[in-house]
Order: sequence, then structure tokens, then C-alpha cells
Amino acid sequence: MSIKIENVSYTYLKKTPNEVEALHNVSFEIKEKKITAIIGHTGSGKSTLIQMLNALSTPTSGRIIVDRFEIGPNPKKNKNIKELRRHIASIFQFPEYQLFEETVEKDVAFGLKNYGVKQEEAIKRGHEALKQVGLDESFFSRSPFELSGGEKRRVAIAGILVLDPDILVLDEPTAGLDPEGTRIILDLIKELNNQGKTIILVTHDMNIVLNYADEVVVLKEGNLVYQGVPSELFSLSSDDLSLEIPPLYQFSKALIDKGLNININSIKNIDDLIKEINRK
Amino acid sequence: MSKITFGRFSPYNTIVHRLDARNKILMTILLLVSIFLKVNSWSSTLIMSAFMLLFLILFMLISKVSFIDLFKSLKTMWLLVIFLLIIYIFIPNPNYNPEHIAFYIGRLAINYDAFYQSGYIILRIVMMLMVTMILTSTTSPMDLTYGLEWYMTPLKLIRVPTHIIAMTLSIALRFIPTLLDETERIMKAQSSRGVDFVHGGIGKKFTAIISLIIPLFVSAIGRSEELSNAMEARGYDPYAKRSKYRKLTFSWADLFGLLLILCIFGAVLTLRTYDSNVMPVDFIYWIFKAKPLF
Repeated sequence: MSIKIENVSYTYLKKTPNEVEALHNVSFEIKEKKITAIIGHTGSGKSTLIQMLNALSTPTSGRIIVDRFEIGPNPKKNKNIKELRRHIASIFQFPEYQLFEETVEKDVAFGLKNYGVKQEEAIKRGHEALKQVGLDESFFSRSPFELSGGEKRRVAIAGILVLDPDILVLDEPTAGLDPEGTRIILDLIKELNNQGKTIILVTHDMNIVLNYADEVVVLKEGNLVYQGVPSELFSLSSDDLSLEIPPLYQFSKALIDKGLNININSIKNIDDLIKEINRK
Repeated sequence: MSKITFGRFSPYNTIVHRLDARNKILMTILLLVSIFLKVNSWSSTLIMSAFMLLFLILFMLISKVSFIDLFKSLKTMWLLVIFLLIIYIFIPNPNYNPEHIAFYIGRLAINYDAFYQSGYIILRIVMMLMVTMILTSTTSPMDLTYGLEWYMTPLKLIRVPTHIIAMTLSIALRFIPTLLDETERIMKAQSSRGVDFVHGGIGKKFTAIISLIIPLFVSAIGRSEELSNAMEARGYDPYAKRSKYRKLTFSWADLFGLLLILCIFGAVLTLRTYDSNVMPVDFIYWIFKAKPLF
């Protein structure tokens, strides 16, 4: 399932004094079975864009094509939305706010029940999803409200994973988590990608982009300014994109400048760097 | 939520926006009373209503209030129209006149008065909507609360904590858009999990609402706790004497506006007393609609 975004614009509060154009004529394609990172400053239109991917909002103009589904400006013409949302699921910022059931397992099973799966079957598949995010049996019958922040978030992610979507959209999945929680979530994302899921990741953290993303899309004030691979992005002059270059990339580049002959495009994390240095 | 636009503050800078909030509250009350005072004879009612309507339309144009919003809110009123019409058909008519009968449904005589009465009520409700819309879309919620606090000042004498009431009000007002945004966010999150807020039977709807309400409450309670901590951390003491960041000032434009509204109010009051030869005691009858039936 590839995603085509064609000339999409979005304006908040159209025809009022508070009118803001969040996206301006954006077109690009998101490749199947890759991790695509969408980056940009606050207010660049990232969140607006990903909300349109599963028709939670509709573009003011332009259209989005996800496989056989089409999302256009007229909400009434967008057919099979519920079906679409089963194939492409979104996890928003601070997803722990969506928890509401009495127990963790019930909350995770809730999504499946909405698609008509029987209670026992839903709970069973919920348990699998919970194990996938690294929560064992001891969590199943606890209240989601007594968990820690990182655990809550993992429950919320399990609540989406249980639907087994082909495309997973994550808005800042690591915001407000400690390093350990961040690592668990990111490893999970990588694992899901290895299972063949397309991942779309909105983030501010350039280390994540360098380490995990196959593709990167840069938005600036509602315009698409770059699409390509992360290492290439960081090699561009950073001034006009005003990005923060990840320390690892800076360090590798400094090594090259000092005369070490390593291939900077293959370095994604510290292990890669060590491998590169050893190879020489 | 972008859908709810009725009466939302729109930050233009017109002369009406610059008026003193206290003055605008007073003017609104006077206009509302003028609208709802009943002038008895047909002709003066017609003239007065037409004049008020024109005046309010002019006022809306000056203060750049959106007519589209007004029409949108009127669209939902057709049910009220039918309801009022039915009520007026069945209410015994005090000034029954065989000539006023429009048509019969079976043995039931339908008077022209029923249409006239319900139409007149609808017109007054529309005008009331216009007035309140002008107030809320030209005055920021903060100024509105400060204005209300000023009116509550005399209550301080009997030890009513007016400042606390005003603070509670302003926090409540401030959090309406935040909670609406929150609602929208949770709705989107739950929609991603297959909740359908639009379709489905009562059972499905109920679960959908539960999945929205509980997270909303949890976050609202969390928010209020954070806010109270933040306020305490900055040394907020509800009983301390405070200075004000915003000062409300009464300008010449305010005086002019108030005089204008007072003229209208006076005119309506005069028409009311002279036209129908009733004493102000009748106001009480008017309020309870308890007119003698003969």
C-alpha cells in the first residue's frame, strides 16, 4: 500500500480572521514497507498532514490516494472510511489520553470489538499485541490509569497494533519518555517495519531520523522543502532548512575531515561507525 | 473545534470592539429589555420591530459580526418555530375576533393571531441572538469577565468573594476552547481505533460516547490539578489584594453609544406606557404572560 499525496492544501478556520494556511500545495509519495520520517518545526503542517492520511480531516484542496482509497476535499464523497482506518492507523501525540476501559486488556481489545470481533477473540489478540509492546501477563488485568507514563503509552500503542494495520502513522511517539522508554518504542517500530509494515513517523529528534528512517520528508511553513534519504539531507547546507545535525553525523564528518576514509552514508548509529572504522 | 463558531470572539479592531466591556454589558441588557418589552398595538409593534432590526443589522455590519454564523444558528430553529406555532394555536385567544379566523382544521379554528404571535416571538429571539452575538464576538472573554466582576463589586460589601467568582469564570471561559480541542483530539484518536461517532445504533453510540467522556474527564481533572499547582507556585492567593493587568476605560465613544441605546430604550418604554394605557404594574403580568382572559 503506497500513499500518494497530490497537491494537498489545508486551511484552518477558512474565511474567518483567524484563518491559517497549514499546508500549501504539497505533493509527494510515501514508499511501501519503509520508515518515512516527516520532520519540520512546530507549525510546519506535519500533524495536519498525517491527520489527513486516514481521513480524520479532509484536505481543503487536492487529494490523497492510499491504495484503492481516495481522500478528497468533500467528506461525503470519501467512501469506506472505516475500512481505510483499519489499513492505516494513527497513533497521536500522547496517546495515553485515549485510554478509558477498566483493564488494560479490555482497552486494547476495544479497537477490534469496533470491527465486530468477538470479545474472547479480541482479548486473545489483545494479549498478543501487549506482549509485542513488551507488557507481560501481570499487566493484563490492571487499570490503565495506575500505570506509569511509558507503560500507558505502550498500552495505547498496543490498542492500535491489535488492529494489525498495514500502515502505521506515529506522531512524536517518544515525546516525554525517558531514554529507556524511547528505546523500547523505537525498537518496536523497527521490528514492525521488519514485519513488512509501512511506518510514517513524525519527529523532532534528528538522531531518530538518522538511525531509523529510510526516507525523510521536510516540511517548512506548510511547504515541502526536501524529500530523500537522511544522510543526504544532513550533508546539505543546513542553513536554509535550519535543522539540527545529529552529533553522530557531525562526529563522523569531523573524522572524514581529519582524513579518515569512511563511508558516511552507511553510518546510522554508533555500531555502524565502529564497524566502518574497523573496516579501514 | 472549528465547527462551533457562533458567538466566538473575532479579533477585529472596530469601534464596537474598542468599547468598554462594562458599557457593552449594560448596553446589551438595555437592548434585550427593549426587544422583549411588548408594545401592544399592531402598528407600533411593527414599526418598533422594523426599526430595531435595521439598527441591529447596522450594528452587526459596523462590528463585522458574521451574518453567515447567524444564519447557521437560525437553521436549527425551525423546530422551535413549529413548537411555538402549535402552542399558540391551542392557547385561548384573549381578543377573539371571528374575522381573524384564517382557516379551519376540522372543528378547530386557526386564527391569524397564532401566526402573528409565534412570528413575533421568533423575530424577538432572532434579535436577541443578534445582540448577544454582537456582545460575545466583539468582547474578549477576559474583558467580559472583568466587566462582570466590576458589576459584582457592590456584593463585596456583603462579603461575597467576587474576585474568586470572576477568576473561576475566567478560567472556565478560558478552558472551553482547550476542552473542545481536547475533545476533537480524543475523537480522532478513538476514530483511529474504529469508533464511529456518526453512525450506528444506540448501543454503539453509547460506547462511543463513553470512550470520549472518560478520557476527557481524566485529562480535565489532570489539567485542573496542574493549573492549581502552577497558580500556587506563582504565589496566587485568592484573598490578597491585587492590581489589574488590563484597565477598563470609559471613553467618549462609550458615552455616545450608551446615550444612543438609552434613547432607544426610552422610546420603547414611552411607546409601551402611552400606547396601551397600562401602568408599569402590568410588567409583572407581561413577565408571567398572565393576562386576564377577557
